[in-house]
Amino acid sequence: MVWGPAAIRPQRQTDYRFFPSTTPIVIDNGSSHFRIGWAGESDPRITFRNIVQRPRHRSTGETVTMVGDQDPALMKYFDCTRSSCRSPFDSNVVYQFDTMEYILDYGFERLGVDGSEVDHPILMTECVYNPVSSRCRMSELLFETYGVPSIAFGVDSAFSYKYNQHHGFCNEDGFTICTGLSASHVIPFVSGEPVFGACCRTNVGGYNITEYLRQLLSLKYPYHMSNITFEKSEDLKTEHCYVALNYAEELQLFQDGTRKAEEKYRYWQLPWIPPPQEEMPSEEEIARKAALREKQGQRLREMAAAKKISKIAELEKELNGLDFLLRQLENVEEGDIPSFLSDTKYHSKQEVASAVGKVSQILRKAKGEPAEVEDSYEPSLEEKYPLINIPDNMLTPDQLKEKKKQIFMKTTTEGRLRAKQRHIDEKLQRDRENEQEEEKRIENPELYLEKLHAKYKEISEKLGQRKRMKLNGNGGNGNNNTPGSVGRGERLNAAQKERMRLLTTAAYDRGKGEDTFGAKDEDWQLYKLMSKDNDDDERDLDEAELSRITLRLQTIDPNFAAISDALSTDPPRFQPHTADDFKIVLGVERFRCPEILFQPCMVGFSQAGLDEMIGVSLRRLDTKNTDLKDRICNSILVTGGGCLFPGICPRLEVGIRPQLRFLSPLKVTLASNPTLDAWRGAALCAASSQFHIQTFTKHDYYEKGEDWVRQYQFKYDLATSEPV
Amino acid sequence: MEPDVAKAEMILPNVLPFKRVQRTSEKHIKGQPKTKHWKHLKQIIQAENFQDYPSDQSNYVNIETPPSMYPPKKYCDITGFQTTYIDPKTNLRFANTDVFKQSRHLPEEMVQKYLSLRNAAVVLR
Repeated sequence: MVWGPAAIRPQRQTDYRFFPSTTPIVIDNGSSHFRIGWAGESDPRITFRNIVQRPRHRSTGETVTMVGDQDPALMKYFDCTRSSCRSPFDSNVVYQFDTMEYILDYGFERLGVDGSEVDHPILMTECVYNPVSSRCRMSELLFETYGVPSIAFGVDSAFSYKYNQHHGFCNEDGFTICTGLSASHVIPFVSGEPVFGACCRTNVGGYNITEYLRQLLSLKYPYHMSNITFEKSEDLKTEHCYVALNYAEELQLFQDGTRKAEEKYRYWQLPWIPPPQEEMPSEEEIARKAALREKQGQRLREMAAAKKISKIAELEKELNGLDFLLRQLENVEEGDIPSFLSDTKYHSKQEVASAVGKVSQILRKAKGEPAEVEDSYEPSLEEKYPLINIPDNMLTPDQLKEKKKQIFMKTTTEGRLRAKQRHIDEKLQRDRENEQEEEKRIENPELYLEKLHAKYKEISEKLGQRKRMKLNGNGGNGNNNTPGSVGRGERLNAAQKERMRLLTTAAYDRGKGEDTFGAKDEDWQLYKLMSKDNDDDERDLDEAELSRITLRLQTIDPNFAAISDALSTDPPRFQPHTADDFKIVLGVERFRCPEILFQPCMVGFSQAGLDEMIGVSLRRLDTKNTDLKDRICNSILVTGGGCLFPGICPRLEVGIRPQLRFLSPLKVTLASNPTLDAWRGAALCAASSQFHIQTFTKHDYYEKGEDWVRQYQFKYDLATSEPV
Repeated sequence: MEPDVAKAEMILPNVLPFKRVQRTSEKHIKGQPKTKHWKHLKQIIQAENFQDYPSDQSNYVNIETPPSMYPPKKYCDITGFQTTYIDPKTNLRFANTDVFKQSRHLPEEMVQKYLSLRNAAVVLR
């Protein structure tokens, strides 16, 4: 069963006219594939997927019809946006006959029909107990549109069983388990004839398995959803899926993550182009860059030096000028000084002197000489603030003002000194603590490390807890990304909620009854809660402690990795994609998907699985004959395209065994070719000499009416009993 | 028509010589409702009136397998492992704490998709 390009475009057959009009055309109208060929031949001439698509041709704009799989390279000429693949089947019953007509058109056309009508009897497969309206419409379609002389209908899995019986793979009495695209059947056979009254159907088939796989993978890898198509899932299914002999044990194997399970993983690497790697610069490049930097630095240094020199020169000039002024001033009389200085910006000799001091100091600084120690001795408090200790009543108002200023100055200086002292003390304390810790570490490094780790964990958990509390007031971390459900209440954390509650009760209580608030001291504590969130200080402390421990751990434990963010709900930080991000892992899925055949409840069907169906069918057979039951169970044939999984037969044996009598025989065999055997069996039946009495003509159809069509039953044994 | 399209014979001709009744060109007239000339399987079954026939006579509906006799096993929705835990908030089944955490971070849409896999999703009508 290949759905890829290998199966596309069957050639139009050229030998149609060599077949006499009595040779029946055999059609296996399966819900996944349509097979058409000639009776008596070993293989169908034409096989294609039973789908139709009607896209718009881009250049001409007309809607065209295409049947089966198409070459994806040629699909660029068509616009498929408004049409998807259509199947004539709903479950396993044909319901869209205009789609069916396209498929039959294509099938007959490929078979090479060239007359004015299809003048061959037709044997077509259908599902078990096909609803009579579907059967009638199919007959009408064949009679009216194609002019088919006569038709016979049969069940595909029965044909498959007959074919295998003919080749000795199974006995006259037996079972067939047939898993199709959309349903699975179990049909018992008694003396070579199927007992449809005792058959049963579960609506799970290959399609469900593929769809389950596709959905599981696209949920597991939402980013690659576009890559996980139905066709790709089909390929993955046929290539990798298998049936577990014991599902629970197999699951346990994977859950434990044993080596055995690791070997069972399969990987599908999606196309991935690594981002361009930044090339490490060569050594020459590094050297060249360093040289360039050095050169630039040199130039900057030179510029700075030149600037410094020019500044020094300027300052020296100014100093010289001031010196000159000072010397001149010595010669000037006291009274003339103001008039002498009127040209300059100075008013007195002192000012000039102080300017000289200032400039010379700046000059010294510029030249890089140590600044002259100005205040070599600390003036005592009395000297600095002479007015403080004098009583107020002995001072003038100006002095009082001065005194206030001095007091202020004194307190601030003292405060600064105290803070400095405290800082030093704290540092000493920390150093002492560090030393103690270091001692502890040296004493017993392992214990110390363990303790540190424990503490780290404790604090980080505490912080994580608080974060969660903040995110969701009621304790648990909820799925709070449901849009629309986040109201005002849910946006506040617990502490904030409490505060809101207090505020509202306080507002409502006012003026109600006797007010006893304040009678007890604890009442006032309420305001503390009301005033502001005081949660943050504690958290800050914890965070500081956490960062300290993290730092310490990082220095002494080389294989320590901070896990602080693992708890948070932040989205993962951006990381460049690696090949691993484009890898699709098939682990449990490999046997989880086919398991739905045995446990349909996994995909929401309440019906029994394949193994249990045998028991149901045996009960429906309604026979007391245990010998017959034993014979039937000794020849169970597994067929149909949906059962092509390794391990299906042993699993079926394991599942069926408990439903049978103790020590009764049981044999499960796989059909020689589960997908083709239905057509082959039908071709075998159609080639028998008894075939023509099983068909009905257009005349019969309209004469006998619907009830007769309902009763119509193909006799399989009749057709295959004679040697071919 | 492009030469390689014609060569691949991928397009079904509208007129085929072997057909008695050729397909009429079905141009849909704008404004008129599209005529649906087929029934879904459910409607087909309803039209069959199986209830009018004796109950011991088999038909398409009553050959269906009855519900399983075994109690359905419960599996983790995400990993597929066997489990008994159910998250009351999302209704997802989970195997261990890691899966639980993961399930809590799933968007609602994904949760519903997981649930619909086993036909347990909330259906709004």
